[in-house]
Amino acid sequence: MHIPDGFISPQTYLPAYAVAAGLWAYAARRVKRDLDADTLPFLAAYTALSFVLMMVALPLPGGGTAHAAGIGLLAVSFGGWMGFLAISLVLAMQALLFGDGGITALPINALAMGFTGSFAALAAWKLFGRLNENVALFLAGWISIALPSVLVALVLGIQPLIAQSAQGAPLFFPFGLEITLPAIVLPHLLVGIAEGGLTVLGYRYFARLRAKLAT
Amino acid sequence: MKLARFPALAALLISASGSLAHDLQYSVDSGQAVVIRMFYLNNTPFTFEGYEIYREGEKLPYQVGRSDSQGRIAFLPDRAAEWRIKAISEDGHGLDFTIRTDAAAVLSGAEKPFYERYARIGVGVAVILGLFGFLSLYIKRKRSS
Repeated sequence: MHIPDGFISPQTYLPAYAVAAGLWAYAARRVKRDLDADTLPFLAAYTALSFVLMMVALPLPGGGTAHAAGIGLLAVSFGGWMGFLAISLVLAMQALLFGDGGITALPINALAMGFTGSFAALAAWKLFGRLNENVALFLAGWISIALPSVLVALVLGIQPLIAQSAQGAPLFFPFGLEITLPAIVLPHLLVGIAEGGLTVLGYRYFARLRAKLAT
Repeated sequence: MKLARFPALAALLISASGSLAHDLQYSVDSGQAVVIRMFYLNNTPFTFEGYEIYREGEKLPYQVGRSDSQGRIAFLPDRAAEWRIKAISEDGHGLDFTIRTDAAAVLSGAEKPFYERYARIGVGVAVILGLFGFLSLYIKRKRSS
């Protein structure tokens, strides 16, 4: 789902940087207020897990690959703002150190996966938590992948409309919404199932470990 | 009579030279090309996907096409230059990188990932844990002061 460099027009990534910078600053203040020394090792471990998950490619039917991301797990375990910052840190590291995902696309990836993914996961968890916790956790994981994939498909799909040459040729990503929506969203609906399972198992383990350490 | 035939012959020749433009010919040579292989992390080739190659500073592509069944692109530089290769699939995967070659297609420089795949995982985890280690020290110091 990471968008590489060269796919996104400045008309898109410059405003996205402005929005993301504001949200990063606010999130940093919230995290500074809420983060305690007991939570920190868990957050570090789960952020590292998220990084590893994003590096492990799962083959998709029909070719290509996708990966889980641990977005839902981070969000339900530590809250939306910590989830957003943790995913942003992982994405920034991948872009700056390893060239995975673009530097120009970083705010869009962070807003889609980190911000929208984390808060969508939290909303699903809270909404369905009263009915059944496992179902709620699964849906939190699923939607943390599915919804960002829709956003990424929309952002990519509108690029031919936003930035064109004098001859009308797309300057950046060349495919429109009619192609990006099915091509990006449908595989991620499947990847969301893996992410949902991971969220259930990861959260259960996290809760057990935390309870054990507290006693 | 002879004079009358000349314009008719000239007209025939002119029209024939025009039709020659549609008579496509070919020649076959073997030569050295730059071959780029594109693949996913699990080594699945990036097959039949569109790509564009730009010579440095130019906006019109030098070459466009689709990768082959092995995920490869082959191109023959016409001069020493930096070349930008842009390959994009419909689902948002793709690459955008530059290489430098001489006119004989000999590679003289390429952007390469800093770390190889598995080393990246180790380095990334170490960097994350290191950053959180510093954060932990900061929180402890803040509490003690």
